[in-house]
Amino acid sequence: MGNIEFEKIKRPENIKLPHMLDFYPLEDEKSTRISQFFKNLKEGRLTTTKCKECGNLLWPPRIICSGCLSDKLEWVDLGVEGELYAFTEMKAGPPLGFVQDVPFCIGMIKIGGLLISARIDDARYEDLKIREKVKLKIVELEDGRVFYRFRRIG
Amino acid sequence: MKKVAIIGGGATKCGKREATWRELVQEAGKAMFDNVDNISPKDVEALLVGAAQPERFVFQVHVAPMVAEHLGITPTKVIATTELMCASGQAAIRYAWACIASGMADVAVALGVEKMFMPDMAEAQTNMTCVLDREWDGVNAMSAPPFFAMTAQRHMHEFGTTKEQMALVSVKNHHYSTMNPIAQFQKEVTVEKVLQSLMISPPLNLFDCSGITDGAAGVFLVPAEDAKKYTDTPMYIIGSGQASIGNAVNNLASITEWVPLKLAVKEALRTAKISVNDIDIAELHDCFTISELMEYEAFGWCAKGKGGKFIEDGEPYIGGKIAVNPRGGLLGCGHPLGATAILQSIDILQQFRGEVSRGRRVKGAEIAVAHNLSGAANVHSLMVYSRG
Repeated sequence: MGNIEFEKIKRPENIKLPHMLDFYPLEDEKSTRISQFFKNLKEGRLTTTKCKECGNLLWPPRIICSGCLSDKLEWVDLGVEGELYAFTEMKAGPPLGFVQDVPFCIGMIKIGGLLISARIDDARYEDLKIREKVKLKIVELEDGRVFYRFRRIG
Repeated sequence: MKKVAIIGGGATKCGKREATWRELVQEAGKAMFDNVDNISPKDVEALLVGAAQPERFVFQVHVAPMVAEHLGITPTKVIATTELMCASGQAAIRYAWACIASGMADVAVALGVEKMFMPDMAEAQTNMTCVLDREWDGVNAMSAPPFFAMTAQRHMHEFGTTKEQMALVSVKNHHYSTMNPIAQFQKEVTVEKVLQSLMISPPLNLFDCSGITDGAAGVFLVPAEDAKKYTDTPMYIIGSGQASIGNAVNNLASITEWVPLKLAVKEALRTAKISVNDIDIAELHDCFTISELMEYEAFGWCAKGKGGKFIEDGEPYIGGKIAVNPRGGLLGCGHPLGATAILQSIDILQQFRGEVSRGRRVKGAEIAVAHNLSGAANVHSLMVYSRG
């Protein structure tokens, strides 16, 4: 037993946020064929794909139409103002990467003929009302990627 | 298709377990084999393992062979893991059923397992946030509580459902789980206690939500014609239904009406050749209190929007219109994702056998349904079981 070696080993104290724990989509042209969505977002435009063949408005943005399987899609603007369909507030149990933001509001928003989920900034649950108007807001991550949120008007 | 029987099964105690994933498998596996006399690991030809997220919760994939290895099973016909998030266990039952019904295998095991407690609970919550469309909903922190909170908010807004009515679901299911020795939660709750519990995601408080749970369970499936070789009291699969519509929030059929559940119910009743009034026990997926209210409505036990009134009137209790979740439900028993449907099926088998404690026994029960929803309630899965 005397010659058994015991050694403490070290692992890195910090690891860069791995892709598998990153909720935000990759948005550059090398990673996705809908990078136009993010380019538009950088210009303050919330857009999605619409089928040129059957007219289906598709969300999330696609490369084929799930209605008729056509790949002839075009980018259309959804506008910048939406209406709250439902909302709640993350008060407990946030995932990694969101812990520092608690509490924060999340909503389902009617905009441009769609119902999409998004974070609602600068508001507490008690402030919000169903059918309240909300406005597009763009957030930029530390690495330059962008994503949409909404905020109260007024 | 051959008629298929479930001849026995076994489970672990559910809750925050001082045990690893593979130890849960071993506990459930031993309990399962101990429950049936004339069967050994070498008899198992098909193994389906219901596991929702082993790759995230315990950093392990290719788990079905690990289950086989630990239980001495060497499948010769089919081996696979089945993933359908909260319905992963029912997916295992369905594929095991198909293996037997098709004649491909003579003995199948459906074993479900989930180890959900992690050293850092934020990591567990992270896992639960890639269930909806991660890039377009999950990115907004849309894990289960916010999604079902907004569902509840809309139900309250459109139909006048109250938080007190939702709390009654938690009161009922915790009541039954106090009589279930393997349930995670062993204490009664009151409406006041539910309303005063930690606010998670308004209007949902902590006791409106099912738990984070460790647990495992397994059952055997064989052709009905062979069932009596193993037990005098098998139960039979007599019908099923499963429907899926959309995935991302924008593409759901409705927020306040679960259309896929209505379709699955219709198909389950059609295949079982029964009416909804023939069901004696309903093990429904009460992941949140609002879920169970909406399920009363989708099955047609009450009118749309009247789920709250239905429980106020005591109808989903034993002795009411339909006994819903006499096991204790997910709210009372916990929700170890991959294991939940297997736990439901074992409890129904024990109900048919008269093996559950008197206070939660549904006397004379002949037909039961087991339901699981998954994702943004866009998928609903149903099995129909009968005693005879």
